[in-house]
Amino acid sequence: MTAGGYFGRALVVDAGTATAFPLPLPDEVLRAYLGGAGLGTWLMHRLAPPGADPLGAEAALAFVFSPLVGTPLTTSAKFAVVAKSPLTGMLNDALSSSHFAISGKLTGHDAIVVRGACRQPSVLLVDGDGVRLLDAAGLWGLPAAEAEKRLRERLGRGWRAAAIGPAGERGVRYATISHDGRHAGRGGLGAVLGAKRLKAVAVRAATKVAPADPEAVLAAARDLRARSFGPATAKYRELGTLANLLAFNAISALPAHNFQAATFAGAPQLAAEELAGLRSVARNSCASCTIGCEHIYSARGGKRMRVEYENVFALGPMCGVSDPDAVLAASALCDELGLDTISAGGTIAWAMECAERGLIDAPWLRFGDAGALLRALAEIGAREGLGELLAEGSRRAAQRVGGGSAEFAPHVKGLELPGYEPRTMHAMALGLAVNSRGADHNRSGAYEADLSGDHDRFAGGQGHVAAAVETEDRAAVMDSLILCKFLRGVFTEPFAEWAALLSAVTGWDVDGAELRQTARRIVMAKRVFNIREGWRPADDWLPERLLSAPLTVASGRVATLTPERLRGMIDGYYAARGLDAEGRPDQATLADLQLA
Amino acid sequence: MGTPKAALEWHGSTLLRRTTGILARVTGGPVVVVRALGQELPPLPPGTEVVEDPREGLGPVQGIAAGLSALAGRAEVAFVSSTDMPFLHPAFVRRVLRAAQEGADVGLPLARGYPQPLAAAYRTALAEVAERLVAEQRLRPAFLFDDCTVTRLDEAALRADPVLAALDPGLESVVNLNEPADYQAARARPAPEVTVQRFGTLANGHRGPRQVRAATVAGAAAATGVELDGHVVAALNGDQITRDGETPLATGDTVFFLAADAGG
Repeated sequence: MTAGGYFGRALVVDAGTATAFPLPLPDEVLRAYLGGAGLGTWLMHRLAPPGADPLGAEAALAFVFSPLVGTPLTTSAKFAVVAKSPLTGMLNDALSSSHFAISGKLTGHDAIVVRGACRQPSVLLVDGDGVRLLDAAGLWGLPAAEAEKRLRERLGRGWRAAAIGPAGERGVRYATISHDGRHAGRGGLGAVLGAKRLKAVAVRAATKVAPADPEAVLAAARDLRARSFGPATAKYRELGTLANLLAFNAISALPAHNFQAATFAGAPQLAAEELAGLRSVARNSCASCTIGCEHIYSARGGKRMRVEYENVFALGPMCGVSDPDAVLAASALCDELGLDTISAGGTIAWAMECAERGLIDAPWLRFGDAGALLRALAEIGAREGLGELLAEGSRRAAQRVGGGSAEFAPHVKGLELPGYEPRTMHAMALGLAVNSRGADHNRSGAYEADLSGDHDRFAGGQGHVAAAVETEDRAAVMDSLILCKFLRGVFTEPFAEWAALLSAVTGWDVDGAELRQTARRIVMAKRVFNIREGWRPADDWLPERLLSAPLTVASGRVATLTPERLRGMIDGYYAARGLDAEGRPDQATLADLQLA
Repeated sequence: MGTPKAALEWHGSTLLRRTTGILARVTGGPVVVVRALGQELPPLPPGTEVVEDPREGLGPVQGIAAGLSALAGRAEVAFVSSTDMPFLHPAFVRRVLRAAQEGADVGLPLARGYPQPLAAAYRTALAEVAERLVAEQRLRPAFLFDDCTVTRLDEAALRADPVLAALDPGLESVVNLNEPADYQAARARPAPEVTVQRFGTLANGHRGPRQVRAATVAGAAAATGVELDGHVVAALNGDQITRDGETPLATGDTVFFLAADAGG
């Protein structure tokens, strides 16, 4: 009997033939990998051919739901999109949220995996009647949000769609998949869907799923809802993640000008404290969420967009742009094209530095030039002009440009760095270096340690290693259950509390210790996938600039991250994870992964 | 005094807590407290080390020897401070340390009319010399200075440091408390003037920096209406981050209050 909250099967679709078969998901696999990012990792081990081109027809891409989806637990309406990334060549899971998660799961599947490619632009439909393809004529070329709107008009309101924009259609390696204004943003999974000539995947609920203990789930939901209104979520509720910007600037943690500085003179103009009063027009939340972190701003001309710290960081300070209208316009353009703002901003910032150094012939591209930023984004979305190069991401572009530009290409494993300065946040430096997805702040929350006051953020050591491991483990569970990370602060004993939620939904007798082991298994399974796909020890590292150019912070202190210090932390991380000196697991660890 | 100097109240904290906190801020640690055998100490910040002076009544050189020995192999230079200097400023400590870091065995301030061996910088390698002097019953710091190179920093030399001149122009860093009246007078003085800025939701409509008087992070929080709970951290001068409300502040400090729940 399948555990509560699950259907015990994934739907595996061949987009080339519009056929599908159910893949049984045994209870032991579900318990070992939960759902979301964890289950998606197991599915990629099982269904993604080793060495496959992420943009080839044989590549597999999974929409993965979770046991908590469909329950009244706040923030649980989330889904993971998992595939081998065309940007990194490694495993990538990107989360999004809202109604697609609920409707997708209630098609009667814990995951929908797409393989193959359509002959012409299409939309994949999945509901109780099975799968079929719809001609995407009239949708191809549209922004994801517009395509989603037209699809619902055509199909009916019971349908929910996750769609790509023009960037995904054109194979931009950091294209997004979007639903209801939220993006599975990182790693270019929109390009994977585009390579299958799928403009969208549309789902319609056909069945129901019950938790094992509905009363316990309801009680937990009430409790969690009440806690979600407390101080732990105030920041997200009141100002949103953009509240980071001015604070990070004050503590020299705000990367600017392609990591040539950790403060930005224009930060006050872009700060939530400044903009909220002038530009904020609405606050939204995902389905089943009581936090409501989405802050909608209005730019000059009336266009509205969601504003987050990461898109403002990447399109503002990173590119030296301080005009809020320009940054908001750039953010809106990324949404329209379907571009990951972090990778877009990082790649453009790298190109701006290349142009200023004379390494690429683009005299129009300069730090601080808002017009240049918008032009670069448009060219990337169209893969025209310089955009053909920049659509490849900073790692591939630097390999082509040469001239030492790889030393300041702001990526790890090909994924552009988020807005956390590693030289002044040493726990985060480790988290960015070793994470399987690449430079990522959502799979490693090690910055929490740097900002906790419990560790010297300028002197990484074994305490930082332990913190990085702990936050990575927590992220692995939250991304698999799935619960929004903005809720993390309300849990005082997170693993035990999450285990209680999981037990109520599934009927399993899960405790915090088991969930900790599950977290480690998921982290390890991602690493093992990457090893299978050609990961090398040198991939667990940071860009040369961050290890050779010290920063002076406001206090006068010089912040340095030496290669020796980073090496010491990585060695400590490998030891804590039970890996050998080259970052590889032993046979006993592999056996626990249940991948055979 | 009626109360051991180390435990004297200081703006909601203690004198010893303040001194160890100031030194931790400047040096990044380790910070060693030398106490008499069995001496009770007030609560200390995490990471502070305590060593016992095995021989009582032998004066400051014995204490210096014990402290420097405890740091052997972990630091080349140490700042030695008595516990009763409530106005010790980080800029003063930095300036004096620099004298030893530039090559001297000892950086010795001559301030407010006296040499200040208990507000001075020493090479930790001097531990052996100090222990020998104690064994020889040569217990005055002057004997130690006879056996090593000393950079003497008079008031002009100290004030040549522009940061120190701006933040502690009267060199009150070396003011110590020997009588109850000294303590009462010192305690009656206003707390240091510091700048506070609140970020994000903590700003609550009060953007921009604000001058307040506060001797600790908790004092700065109280002066600006910030509740220093588990969701708030403080960054001192844009540098280290702390949740510890007893972290001492000094004139000219800037305190940023920000949400601990960063990310997104």
